[in-house]
Amino acid sequence: MSASVLSQNPVAAGAPLDVRSGKYLTFALSNEEFGIRVLKVREIMGLQEITAVPQTPAHVKGVINLRGRVVPVIDLRLKFGLPTAEYSQRTCIIVTQVQGESGPLMMGIVVDGVSEVLNLSDQEIEDTPDFGEDIGNRYLLGMAKVKGKVKILLDIDKVLSTQDLNGLNSILH
Amino acid sequence: MLKLEEIGHLIDDLAVQLVMRQPDAPIGALAGAWVPQLAGIVESARAEGAIQAAESAGSLIALLTATEAPGAEGLSEQLQAGLTELERAVREAGSPKTAANSPSLAQDPELMSDFVLESGEHLASIETQALMLERDPCDAETLNAVFRAFHTIKGLAGFLELWHVQKVAHETETVLDRARNGELTLTPPAIDAILASADYLRRWLRYLEAPGTNGPPVGGEEALLARIRGVCAAPAELGGGHPEPDRDEQPAELPPAHPETSEAGPKGAPAEARRGSANAVRVDTAKLDLLVEMAGEMVIAESLVRQDPDLPTLKSTRLQRNMAQLTRITQELQKTAMAMRLVPVGPLFRRMARLVRDLSRQFGKRVEMVTAGDEIELDRTIVEELADPLMHMVRNALDHGLETPRERRAAGKTETGRVTLSAQHRGGQVLIEIADDGRGLDRERIAAKAIERKLIATAEGLTDTEVFNLVFEPGFSTAAVVTNVSGRGVGMDVVRRHIDKLRGRIEIRSVPGQGTTFTLKLPLTLAIIDGLVVRVGAERYIVPLFSVREMLRPKEDTIWTVKQRAEMALVREALLPVLRLYKRFQVTPASTDPRASVMIVGEVEGGRFCLLVDELIGKQEVVIKSLGETFKGVSGIAGGAILGDGRVGLILDLERLFKERADAGP
Repeated sequence: MSASVLSQNPVAAGAPLDVRSGKYLTFALSNEEFGIRVLKVREIMGLQEITAVPQTPAHVKGVINLRGRVVPVIDLRLKFGLPTAEYSQRTCIIVTQVQGESGPLMMGIVVDGVSEVLNLSDQEIEDTPDFGEDIGNRYLLGMAKVKGKVKILLDIDKVLSTQDLNGLNSILH
Repeated sequence: MLKLEEIGHLIDDLAVQLVMRQPDAPIGALAGAWVPQLAGIVESARAEGAIQAAESAGSLIALLTATEAPGAEGLSEQLQAGLTELERAVREAGSPKTAANSPSLAQDPELMSDFVLESGEHLASIETQALMLERDPCDAETLNAVFRAFHTIKGLAGFLELWHVQKVAHETETVLDRARNGELTLTPPAIDAILASADYLRRWLRYLEAPGTNGPPVGGEEALLARIRGVCAAPAELGGGHPEPDRDEQPAELPPAHPETSEAGPKGAPAEARRGSANAVRVDTAKLDLLVEMAGEMVIAESLVRQDPDLPTLKSTRLQRNMAQLTRITQELQKTAMAMRLVPVGPLFRRMARLVRDLSRQFGKRVEMVTAGDEIELDRTIVEELADPLMHMVRNALDHGLETPRERRAAGKTETGRVTLSAQHRGGQVLIEIADDGRGLDRERIAAKAIERKLIATAEGLTDTEVFNLVFEPGFSTAAVVTNVSGRGVGMDVVRRHIDKLRGRIEIRSVPGQGTTFTLKLPLTLAIIDGLVVRVGAERYIVPLFSVREMLRPKEDTIWTVKQRAEMALVREALLPVLRLYKRFQVTPASTDPRASVMIVGEVEGGRFCLLVDELIGKQEVVIKSLGETFKGVSGIAGGAILGDGRVGLILDLERLFKERADAGP
């Protein structure tokens, strides 16, 4: 068990830190700025009509048609337990490709707005502070300080495959 | 020269350009900037020893330069996939773990899966042809074909270092070679040995396909080899003497080719197979599925354009003409794409011929098998799924249906029983019939058994069909003797489940003393269904038409509340449970008054029920799409489909809706 934890956590495994450096797409959510690796992003699209699927948690908004593919859409605000907000002109869906149980999977995330692409070096990325539990290491790649603002770097694979993200509150507040 | 790390950054840059580019900017413009950068990556990666990465980058260049008029979306996706792969390759090259050991050919998974596929096809034809040899051991052409098939398997196996496979294939080949040269005549025991060898090789293929599930099937190999060698050692009957198997004592051989055997039956098989392999290409099913999917999308995109409200304002006959042409071509394209997934049922029928041969011996019955409609085509998934139920039914026919030669004689029938497998088109569906001319189902016995099992209270008032249908109940079996083939009470319920899964129906007809016929009604394909689009509140759902019996608008006295909890509707003098879809899915309906709603009477396994929806929008053919693992916990939804306006509609799973209504009820 400890072995699998080690192998999933690049820092602990002593792998080159360079795994975390690179290009990140940052987006706004509530009052925070988040970042995900650019290579995980497949497409950025405006909000479109989402077909609701019954009997799903509130953060699962439903499915959209992405050029013939049925792609699930997750509201990241709700997923993170942040206050809901009206969708606006800036609201958009970032379509990501994540690792599913049986291969790669397309999934859309609703965010307040896409900001920019940042090129982050090792020096700019810090490990997630210890919040008492192993919350940080579970689905955060780290934190980056850019021009005095903190960007939370998400491991989007884990964010979208983890059911319960309540722990994130302690970081955000 | 770049370091691996720098290559990584460069890849990131490229990925950003791809994602952040203006949607309408021609992707071809990227090529000019990308190719030199990628070329740099190729060179640097080579210098760093990252061969994989160099190859990935190379194929990206090929992608960019080869595509003259790039379909922007497809190319963009391909580029993204290529970049992801390249990134992975660079990262792997960077990690010290991956020592650059060149794997031997034997470990190449692609070669291995090719081998499994190809050998599987050879084994299938070996089986059919061995049965033909049994009838005519001197058919030189067939002998050659079987010989060549074993020879090919042997060669491939040696190449892949599968020594067990090679050894068995080699010994069998030796037998066939001697038969070819007239040094040996293939007696039934020799055919048995050849078939046993094919079975053994098939077990190996199964193991190679999924090595994790069980160990390699090495057991029994020595015995098999000894058996095959024994055939060789047996005194050779020279002079091409046709063996006259002692048909009276030896229970049931396959009879000589019967005139009624359809022209596409086993006799026509080799020619057909040859024709097929010459003009066929092997395509990855994933690619095929994608093509079918894209064709489906095209139909939707076309209907979006055709139904565009702006279109009628353009009063142009030219536009109308071209539009009609587009419509025609799109439909043709979809039909062609769907047809590519279809395969004939013939090979499946021929597999049953082998089963009939083995079982008839085991039971001491004489059976001839006749097939018809081998050329009828069905979706490959359906044909694959059909193998199990068909096997069950053929077993049943031989075990329970057909009588022993003596019984048949006593009943004034020919000693040889007949099993007929036939396929035919019937109104957009395919009918498959499994008929025997045996003793027929015994209504009294089935009824007695059902009463004993408490499935029914009395058989009085039940039609024959209703009584016969009881054999599909789980655990139902009337076989007096439990044999190792059938009679353990499993079988027909499994058959029914399989057929249900394929969205098909099964019916029984039976006349005492004359035989039993099972009729399967199957859809041509599982990818498309006829759906009824309905609205509930703001949501639209698709009800599969095959389980809809009728639709009606309830009157005031149609719906009754039973014990203030469950609602029932009186439809054609039957009381059916009512399910209000808005309650189940928790959406706000247009009206909760049944009189303003539409009631759909659905029929599923286990009964009929009424589904209350707001309104009926129309009928539409839809391409079924999986919702994926995200929604695997959602019940009552069978999948999604893109509707005419481009939005996703959810396809209802009536079976689950009905079952869970019963669970939740009082």
